[in-house]
Amino acid sequence: MIGGSISRWTMTYFAAALTWLLAALALMVAGIGHPAADLAAPDTLVLVHVVCIGWLSVAMCGALFQFVPVLVAQPLFGERWVLPALVLLTAGLVSLLAGFMALGARLPSAPWLLPLGALLLVAGFGLVVVDLGLTAWRRPTGPARFVLVGLASLCATAAFGAVFAFALAGWAGRMGDAVLARGIPLHAIVGLGGWLTLTAMGVSYRLLSMFMLAPDVEDRKSRLTLAAGALAVAATVGGGAIAIGLELGLNIVLSIAALFGLACAALYGRDIAAIFRTRKRRHLELNMRMAMLSFASLAATGLMGTALVSTRTLPLHLGAFAFLAAFGWLSGLVLAKLYKIVAFLTWLETYGPVMGRAPTPRVQDLVAESRATKWFAIYYVSVWMGTLALLAAEPGAFRIAAAAMMIGVVGIVHEIIRIRRLEDVASTLRLPAGAVAPHLLFAKT
Amino acid sequence: MADYLDVDARPILRAGGEPFSAIMAAVGRLQEGQGLRLYAPFKPVPLFTVMADKGFAHSASELGGGEWEVLFTPVGAKPETTPIAASNSPFAAWPEPVVELDNRDLDPPEPMVRILAAAEKLGPGETLSSLLRREPVFLFPQLEKRGFRWLGGFRPDGATYELTVRAPS
Repeated sequence: MIGGSISRWTMTYFAAALTWLLAALALMVAGIGHPAADLAAPDTLVLVHVVCIGWLSVAMCGALFQFVPVLVAQPLFGERWVLPALVLLTAGLVSLLAGFMALGARLPSAPWLLPLGALLLVAGFGLVVVDLGLTAWRRPTGPARFVLVGLASLCATAAFGAVFAFALAGWAGRMGDAVLARGIPLHAIVGLGGWLTLTAMGVSYRLLSMFMLAPDVEDRKSRLTLAAGALAVAATVGGGAIAIGLELGLNIVLSIAALFGLACAALYGRDIAAIFRTRKRRHLELNMRMAMLSFASLAATGLMGTALVSTRTLPLHLGAFAFLAAFGWLSGLVLAKLYKIVAFLTWLETYGPVMGRAPTPRVQDLVAESRATKWFAIYYVSVWMGTLALLAAEPGAFRIAAAAMMIGVVGIVHEIIRIRRLEDVASTLRLPAGAVAPHLLFAKT
Repeated sequence: MADYLDVDARPILRAGGEPFSAIMAAVGRLQEGQGLRLYAPFKPVPLFTVMADKGFAHSASELGGGEWEVLFTPVGAKPETTPIAASNSPFAAWPEPVVELDNRDLDPPEPMVRILAAAEKLGPGETLSSLLRREPVFLFPQLEKRGFRWLGGFRPDGATYELTVRAPS
């Protein structure tokens, strides 16, 4: 086993994640959850967890199972844990969502559903954290350090979530109730900011420099970026826990975390700009051009957060802020990179074994960028429209934006399926002697 | 506390040289009871068997960045054997490359395509060399499946990766 082997179940993770994304968009189009409902309403909790666990976390795990071994040039610690982890995560999420629906009286009351979901999710994420953590630990340099901090943040997020689930079932005692009453912002910040954002940053350093032929970002610089991010997470978790324990206000803790978070985003912007500046490959592929829109969304999220805090309107517009972070920055980046990763892995799986023995297509022959561009454009424009609709408190306009996002995502998913089925490869090159067509949902090698 | 003679194979390999003869020469210079401390840019697994045949136990530790320090400690009396024929040893001198590729400025994954295409044309035991920008992690599984062996490492500047691939003989 070598670090560059193809991960068997990454496509399965991607398929599951995209299914959850479509489910989340369907909920938004149907007007279920925020902004029609309150931010803390059970329907909003359903929507938020479909997005953050079903879509973003599952997609991120699938990508990490492929790329952490590449980052550290070592084989994955436990290949056979990968599929059981996905089964546990899916079962846990379904149970958690059913628990939220029972809270909102959409299902008969069943207080055990939330703790059951939490336990299954902790077990699933536990397998992911141990497997990826032990792999990254073998050579913890550069981007792999971001993954390690991201995984630690995932543990903290899951721990908060599990306490909430037990508290909602009435099984967590007074301390659990206190954590539930005040800890929700901490859970959200560590999940979106620590786990998803820091991990996406780490992986993007390597993917960007690899695909654009740029030198790696200097260790010294990326370490500073990570330090700012890690301090933001540590301030949130440590400071937050102390504040809750001593029954103090959270404002100071959150302000400190926000300052570190802004510094981290700014330093990341500097690092990414350096990769773009020093790249040897002048022509930018679609996934890079689209990734730039998600970097712009990250910058916009930072500016918006600063503006909302300085006008003291953050609590009013928290939904818009989180929406832009989740869909403009994280989902946009994941969709853009999925498009490239699926094409590359499909190419490697299908043509790697016959390369040099028969004529094979290039990676770019598997994609039809001009067709895909419009779906990405529809997606990003509708995300920004949706953010404006949320800021303007226009639920009707938001549903229209969500419907447009759905159209964009369906188009992108359709393109990804075409890539997997080699439908855009010229028929003379599609399957040279000895090559085997890939399966849609997993890698055969 | 055993006394060790130091051999650093890293500069030899970086310069494209063959460290086996230098290591064996050092083994020949060892005093009775003296061990050998080897630094290498990879874990020199094939050497372990060779040294075990000569009566040395090994303990390998990773230094970071893929580099290794290996201590070969004599165990008991050295069995007197005929020198191992260089051509049969896994560290035997590889022949000069018949193809030299400079793939540094190609878009990925073009370097991999070219290396595999050139590798398929090698005769038994022949080698090719290639300069690259980064460690070709996705190439290694393909080489392994086809029975090729390879040696690779970054030059001291860290900007160029030198890879040598040898066809199965």
